[in-house]
Amino acid sequence: MGTVIVAAGLRKAYGPKVAVDELSFEVRPGVVTGFLGPNGAGKSTTMRLMIGLDRGRGSTVFDGRRYRQLRHPMREIGTVLEAKAFHPTRRARDHLRMLAAANGIGDDRVDEVLALVGLAEVSRGRPRGFSLGMGQRLGLAAALLGDPHTLLLDEPANGLDPQGIQWLRDFLRAFARSGRTVFVSSHLLAEMALMADELVVVGRGRLIDAGPVADFVRRFTTSQVLVRSPDVERLARLLLDDGADVASEDGVLLVSGAETSAVGELAARHGVVLHELTSRTASLEQAFLEATGASQEFRTAGSAS
Amino acid sequence: MTDALRFEWVRIRTVRSTYWLVGLAVVLTGLVAWLVAYGSRDEALTPELTGVQLNGAVGLVPVPLTPVLVGLLGVLAVGHEYRHGTIRPTLTALPHRSALVAAKLIVVGAIAALTTVVSIAVNSVVLWVVRGDAPAIGSAPLPAALVGYLLLVVLWGVLGVAITLLLRSTVATIVVLLVIPLVLEPLIRGLSFIPELDWLKSVVPWRPFAAGARMAQTFDIDAATNQIVGAGTRILTRLEAGLLFGAFVAVVLAVGWALFERRDA
Repeated sequence: MGTVIVAAGLRKAYGPKVAVDELSFEVRPGVVTGFLGPNGAGKSTTMRLMIGLDRGRGSTVFDGRRYRQLRHPMREIGTVLEAKAFHPTRRARDHLRMLAAANGIGDDRVDEVLALVGLAEVSRGRPRGFSLGMGQRLGLAAALLGDPHTLLLDEPANGLDPQGIQWLRDFLRAFARSGRTVFVSSHLLAEMALMADELVVVGRGRLIDAGPVADFVRRFTTSQVLVRSPDVERLARLLLDDGADVASEDGVLLVSGAETSAVGELAARHGVVLHELTSRTASLEQAFLEATGASQEFRTAGSAS
Repeated sequence: MTDALRFEWVRIRTVRSTYWLVGLAVVLTGLVAWLVAYGSRDEALTPELTGVQLNGAVGLVPVPLTPVLVGLLGVLAVGHEYRHGTIRPTLTALPHRSALVAAKLIVVGAIAALTTVVSIAVNSVVLWVVRGDAPAIGSAPLPAALVGYLLLVVLWGVLGVAITLLLRSTVATIVVLLVIPLVLEPLIRGLSFIPELDWLKSVVPWRPFAAGARMAQTFDIDAATNQIVGAGTRILTRLEAGLLFGAFVAVVLAVGWALFERRDA
């Protein structure tokens, strides 16, 4: 069984800049929990705080114990933090043997995980020549070394090819379905929507939302109907009487809470001429933008890309 | 603690620099041994000269061969972790930071001691081959000087780990490790000869790296210099010098270790 992770009051500041601000959340076993936020929202810092790599305030417990209190942490919690954290000339297999030695894990398990992530052929290779995707796989192999019941992964899909991402997604879902715990971060909502069951959403170091993915999507994606008509005022009144929400923008009506067909029928019944009737569904990405919209970092990053 | 030791033992054996540094230390001091043995092949061998052969002239230079190469081994033991970002996976595998530091000190210290013993043995063979007689390591001041040499190398290894914990950068550490003994300490000695800066004479004996070199000396360079220039600076005994260099290393280690416990990885 995986652990219940409880993070309480996590806070980290670099001088005057607060990276993580009183962040509290819970991660349950049996489901994939996505940790979602734009770049610079404090996801990586949070994960480093959780396992004591960064010094900050607050606490994170795994079934009641802090990371430091675990005798052989890698046998309980597998972690991938950054893609290329290995010595360029230490062979991939030796890198894993080194970490295994720290947690009383045998060398045969090293070969097992290398095969599992598809690196068996380059296990004697030096990581200097590894691609980002291969580095990511080596990191994942390290996380799986101790056959842990909990995984903490920071942007593990970065650099993976589409097949790799598909494999990772299936792997994590199966891992969680077997009753274990998965906490995986990403800045891509589309990826999370495919992978995660639950979400912890952050922006600028603060918690924005936590709960099932579907709830998040429903809460932040509303479909609207755009109506253009020479007689907007009358139509707006009719729609309001019908129980819909109406906003008016430059002579265009934005209607929430009514389908296009309902709006069209209402207009026809009262003889209102329509020039345009369009359905506008906000995408998941828009929902994400709306939810984390206050983040200046994201706007800067978004306009740059 | 055993987990940390196992980790560090695998770590240090799986980078090529370890073999290069240890190999260079043995080969280069061996060359010095050959040079001295060959040059003095027709003369009677004093214990002082035997010492220079066995330790690669360690007491005659501010940055001696075996100590500095083993010091680099200590620097890389921490420096590689920061340079290549492995400090995070390492501390994820071993969240007890003090256990990690202790393991690095023990492994580097052990390799330092072993390298020194092997190097002395190799140099004895060189001397025996060139001159045809085995070194008389029992006659004074050799026993004390060789023990001092062994401790000096171990302390340099510890110092390498300690300064890198403090500075977290291989390059910065190497610069500091060379600038103090090669620039700063000779500067203090040089300036102390100026009458207006006479007070510096009281500082001269307390230069840590100069004191370190005295631990392994068989020729008393400082006493000879005093005689030549007529400077009455204090001469530390081998034990005093060892305690001084040891204290210097201990202070750097204490600060580096404490910061390593508190800082972000």
